[in-house]
Amino acid sequence: MQQPTVSIIGAGPAGLNAAISLAKMEIRVNLFEKQVKPGGQLSHWHTLFPDMYDAKTLLKSTINEISHPHIKLYTTVNIRQIKRQNNQWIISSDGNQEFISDAVIITSGFNLFDATKKEEYGYGIYPQVITSLELEQMFNGRREWPFSKDIEAPKAGFVHCVGSRDTKCGNNWCSKVCCVKAVKQAIEFKKQFPKAEVSCFYMDLRMFGKGYEELYMKAQVDFNIQFIRGRLSEASPSNGNKVHVKAEDTLMNRPLKQNLDMLVLMVGMTPAIWLNQHAERIDFEKPKFKQGFINPVENYQSTIYQNTPGVFAAGTCKGPASLIDVIQDAKATAFEVFAYLKKEKQNVEILEKTT
Amino acid sequence: MSRISFGYSVSEGKVINLDQQKPAWLEKIFELEPSLHRCISCGNCAAVCTAGHFTGMKFYRICLNAFRGQTSDLKNDAKACMLCGKCQFACPRGVNIRHAIMLMTQIQKP
Repeated sequence: MQQPTVSIIGAGPAGLNAAISLAKMEIRVNLFEKQVKPGGQLSHWHTLFPDMYDAKTLLKSTINEISHPHIKLYTTVNIRQIKRQNNQWIISSDGNQEFISDAVIITSGFNLFDATKKEEYGYGIYPQVITSLELEQMFNGRREWPFSKDIEAPKAGFVHCVGSRDTKCGNNWCSKVCCVKAVKQAIEFKKQFPKAEVSCFYMDLRMFGKGYEELYMKAQVDFNIQFIRGRLSEASPSNGNKVHVKAEDTLMNRPLKQNLDMLVLMVGMTPAIWLNQHAERIDFEKPKFKQGFINPVENYQSTIYQNTPGVFAAGTCKGPASLIDVIQDAKATAFEVFAYLKKEKQNVEILEKTT
Repeated sequence: MSRISFGYSVSEGKVINLDQQKPAWLEKIFELEPSLHRCISCGNCAAVCTAGHFTGMKFYRICLNAFRGQTSDLKNDAKACMLCGKCQFACPRGVNIRHAIMLMTQIQKP
């Protein structure tokens, strides 16, 4: 039997790490990416929480590792469908290209929530209102600040949970990482503008990961960032190129208002694909309203997708996760795939002997 | 002739305006006791507070008022404390509450 091949759909952090791990175990990998370059959402980021690690450095070192003789990277290939045939999977793209592999890992990742859906925050209407992604681009100089250069002490607000924990948007889940990301971005903003005044409007602060709570304390004590428990009701235009925000301060039990030079919306994660499962094939479709992330077969074997042999899922396509969790999940999935292929190979050998 | 009363009155706005500049003496308190910034309004201080049982004083509320620049009642609220220090044992974030209270009771408004 020839060396097995694994197809990985999506070359973000999950796909890249799974590919690297499989290649190390002498398994051949076809890595598919619909964009021009690999890297996924990571390529938009400036620094990473909680240690302010440079995102570009991490991406570069990961991408360097995939130039491995076992890994074949296909960019600008959009996978449309996978089909089961003789214990193998046939992967077909939009351009009707077909690839055969023994196992598939879905690492299609997430999309950022479209902030224009929350009209009350005025994204796309007021230039002062930006998303967390755009703020990262301002940090690395790829985008202009939304306020004048003359302002020495800009006032900034961060709105947590935009498009998360929100039934009206069809997104009932918590996006998990925006809490700590807002804290990280607030600190980074204060570092660039030490005289700035920063308020974070939150519902809950979910500092679950290693070093997150410490970062939150740092934001309070060392950077004097104000945390206000309450969701923004609306943003409206105000005098002097400012945006006026209203919220309920639920701890003070009183309404609150403020004029801001910049309002950052912490956009949550939404699923990038919906798997439409048929008897012998799975179609990759655009998710509709309320269609959530991919459901693994069960929570305690979270790398295997449903009861389809040889189809695995890793990373944020299964639900919001931090980058560290995604990398670990990808590596764990790579091992599961390896174990699966080994078992399949034994089965084939037994079959060959008996017939 | 006395004026007819229709029973209406004007109530004061309840809105907290974060645009207002915080008074310099308030900034001074935060400077002298920076551990105040650590407060996360968990309420442990109020749960153990004996003075609070009788006067309604809650340290985390005093702290919140200070964060939001609501200073009109700060000194009076702080005066309800009898400095027993139980709150400081209870505080999970190590706020030096007694020192903060002492600073607040000594506010000299200009």
